[in-house]
Amino acid sequence: MNERITTPYEGRPAVWDETAEIEAPLRLHRSTAPPEWMDYNDHMSESCFLLAFGDNADAFFRFLGVDEAYRAGGHSLYTSETHLHHRHEVALGDPLEMSLQLLDHDRRRLHIFHEMRKGGSGVLLASAEQLLVHVDTRAGRSADLPTHLLERLDAIAATHAALPTPDVVGRPMGIRH
Amino acid sequence: MGEREPATDLPGTPFTAYRELVRPEWLDYNDHLNDASYAIALTTAHELVLESLGLSAEYRASHGASMFTVEMHLRYVAEVAGGQTLTAATTLVEADHKRLRLHSELYADGVLAATGECLYVHVDTVGGRTAPFPADRQARVDAMRAAHAGLPRPAHLGLGAGARP
Repeated sequence: MNERITTPYEGRPAVWDETAEIEAPLRLHRSTAPPEWMDYNDHMSESCFLLAFGDNADAFFRFLGVDEAYRAGGHSLYTSETHLHHRHEVALGDPLEMSLQLLDHDRRRLHIFHEMRKGGSGVLLASAEQLLVHVDTRAGRSADLPTHLLERLDAIAATHAALPTPDVVGRPMGIRH
Repeated sequence: MGEREPATDLPGTPFTAYRELVRPEWLDYNDHLNDASYAIALTTAHELVLESLGLSAEYRASHGASMFTVEMHLRYVAEVAGGQTLTAATTLVEADHKRLRLHSELYADGVLAATGECLYVHVDTVGGRTAPFPADRQARVDAMRAAHAGLPRPAHLGLGAGARP
């Protein structure tokens, strides 16, 4: 059996509490940069930033209601785009605090923004802007979100509407002179 | 690995040295290539380009300077399964005296699986700040930029996340 990529939240059922206050932004995941994410220079490898943001996304999916049972029903959320900005290198053992902001959504798409900050100092280490699409995994194409997930997204969007849009959102890559 | 002459591929063609079988440990619970694993393939493909420019890990050790990834933008096109072979076609999109921007098309068994763009800056790792390329590396960068100048640019280049050409 080969090791597969997993997240710390795998197997944990989603629980939505309608009465709970929704954080803006959401703070659902924190971790410590592990040895297997380091390069030869003891800095975090580029692709491991995506693993860290992936763990944060999975925490968000379970907060929202997308867990193994939901996926077994034939639907899931797939990433269609990720735009990373690296601000500072991450060293072995650095405490990582992640936040997640819902920027926008429609019937089948989510636009989200993650920040990774260093625990304690709060220094911004990296950010990730992502587009997710709700898919029918059997048909292999995008599909509308069910009503209960749309209602939850609307509730999150209502509290996140007060947050400023980060300056890098929607900004194209390029060499600026 | 030893240093190579600049631009190992023919002038006017993308850089295509990368070729690798999808590893089992890159897959997720669903036996599909994980989001982060596309980035592994992209950075490995780009490392080969940097190596041909004399700006790889060996350069870091010998010159106390290195390329730091400032931005990475992945557009996922298709799912990839275990056992498929990944290849890449990379274009040097733009460069100046200390920055490089590479764009790659990533293929799985010849079918487009993703595109990825990276912006790199040359950093003096001793002083901890950005620094201009040394003259010989600048010459290699300029040579590849000239060789790639006539290559087609994908329509999504220069668009932010979510924007469609």
